[in-house]
Amino acid sequence: MNIDELKKIVDGCELQENKICIKNDLHYVIEFLKNNYGLNLLKSITAIDLGEDVELLYNLFSVDDGENVVISIKVQNEAESVSDLFDSAKADENEIYDLFGINFTGNENLKRLYMPENWKGYPLRKDYVQDDTRLAWNENDRSNA
Amino acid sequence: MKTTAATLKLNLGPQHPSTHGVLRLILELEGEKILSCEPDIGYLHRGMEKMAEGMTYVQYLPTVDRIDYLAGCFYSELFCKTVEKALDISLSQRVRTIRVVLLELNRISSHLLWIGAFLMDLGALSPFFYAMREREMILRYFEKLTGQRMMYNYFVFGGVRKDIDYLEDIEEIIKVLPKKIEDYEKIITDNPIFLTRTRGKGILEPETAFNNSITGVNLRASGVEYDLRKTDKLYEGFEFTPVVLDGKDAWARYKARVLELRESLKIVEQGVNILKDSEPLRQKLINPLTLKLPEGEYYSEIEAPRGLASLYIKSTGMDKPYRLKWRTGSYYAVNLLRRLLVGEYLNDAIAIAGSLDIILPEVDK
Repeated sequence: MNIDELKKIVDGCELQENKICIKNDLHYVIEFLKNNYGLNLLKSITAIDLGEDVELLYNLFSVDDGENVVISIKVQNEAESVSDLFDSAKADENEIYDLFGINFTGNENLKRLYMPENWKGYPLRKDYVQDDTRLAWNENDRSNA
Repeated sequence: MKTTAATLKLNLGPQHPSTHGVLRLILELEGEKILSCEPDIGYLHRGMEKMAEGMTYVQYLPTVDRIDYLAGCFYSELFCKTVEKALDISLSQRVRTIRVVLLELNRISSHLLWIGAFLMDLGALSPFFYAMREREMILRYFEKLTGQRMMYNYFVFGGVRKDIDYLEDIEEIIKVLPKKIEDYEKIITDNPIFLTRTRGKGILEPETAFNNSITGVNLRASGVEYDLRKTDKLYEGFEFTPVVLDGKDAWARYKARVLELRESLKIVEQGVNILKDSEPLRQKLINPLTLKLPEGEYYSEIEAPRGLASLYIKSTGMDKPYRLKWRTGSYYAVNLLRRLLVGEYLNDAIAIAGSLDIILPEVDK
C-alpha cells in the first residue's frame, strides 16, 4: 500500500513508525483501503486512553498478499463506526464502548458487555476510580453515601 | 428482540452442559427454526487487561496462561515474544525448539479435548473417553516437566524455566498417537449419524469469515490457506503443510482438526530429533527486578489453536505496561454465531456452535 495515494484523498495523514495517523474521515479511509487494496480482514480495534483523548488503532490485513496496515485516529468520546464495512467491528466497538465509554455513531447495538448494565464508569479509562459501593472493599463508604 | 405469539425465546445456558464454559445464547425460535441469536458473554470476565496495568511484567507472566486454560503455552509464548521483541532479545536454537515442541504438544491436547467434547455435544459419549485418555498422556508429560497440568508458566522472558527433559515420554506419544488418531477416524469420520449431523451444517463462506475476522482452523476449513506458522520466525526450519479443506461445514472443521493433529505430531518429531542432538540448555535470563520496557508500542501475533492471537503493549518506559490488549480468536467466533445460526434448526445449533471451538475464558478475558 502506498501512503502517497492516501495523502491525495485525505488531509493531514502521516506515517508514524508502523502506523498511519489520520485526523478525521475514518470511515472513508477504511472503506477506501478495503475496496482498493484488498484489506479484507479487520484483525482488531485497539483503544488506548492517552489522557486528553483516546487513540484507536485499526489493524487491517490482506489475506491474499499478507499485507498489514494500521490506521490510527485520536477521538474524544465519539467515533465513526465501521460496522457496516466489517461485521467483526460490531464486536470490537462494543468492547471499546464497554471499557472506554466511546460512542460509535452508526452502531446501534452498543451495550454493556463484560460489566453489569448499571455499572458506573469505564474501567480502562485512566481516570477511572473504583469507588462503586457494591464492591466489597468500598462497603464502609456506604454510610457516607 | 421482539417476540411475537408465534415465536419463542429460548435461553441456552449459562450453565448448559453443551456450552463449554459459561456462555448464554438467547435464541428466538419459530417452531424449531432459529430466527435470531444473541450471545450474552461476560460471565468469566477477569479483567486481564485492567489487571496488567497494575502489575509488573514478571508478576503478570503467570496469569497469562489463564486466558485460554486449554492452550496456556500459546499465551505465555505470545507475551514472552512481545517482551523479547521490545528488549531485542534473540532466542537460541534450543530454546526455540523447546518452545515449538511444547506449543505443538499443547495444540494436540487442546484439539483432542475439542474432539471429545464436540462428539459429546452430538451425543456420542465414548469418543470423549478415548480423547481424554490420549490427552492424559500429554498432560502427564507436562506435569512431569513443569509441575502443572494446565497452567504451565514454563516460558520466561528470553528462555524457558529449565531445560527440557523426559524426551522418551514425547517419543512414546509420537509412537502411540498416530494409531489412536486412526482409530478415531474409524469410529467418527465416516459414521453415518455423525455425517448427517455435521455435513452441510453451519456453512461458513470465506467472505463471511473475513468479514467476521475468523482465523485459524475455522478459516482453513473454508478453503483459505492462512497459517501464521508458515511466516513465524519461531517455526523456521520446521516442515509441515497447513491443513486446508474446502468443505466449509462443521464436518470440514472436524476433519481439519484431526488432520492438524498429524501435522503437529510431525513438528514435534522434528523438534525432538533436534533436541536430542543439540547441546544442553545454556541461557542468560533477565533480572526480573529491573525489567522495564523501553518507551514504545509493541505488537506480535501467534497462531493459537483457536485462531490468530495477538498482543499489543504500549509502554511508557515503566516496569508496568501503560496499555495491554489481547486479541483472541474465540471472541470473534462467538460473535459469528449471530450470523451462522440464523435459519438453522435448534438441534443443529449445538453442532454448529461446538464446531467453532469456542472457549469462554478466551472470549471474556
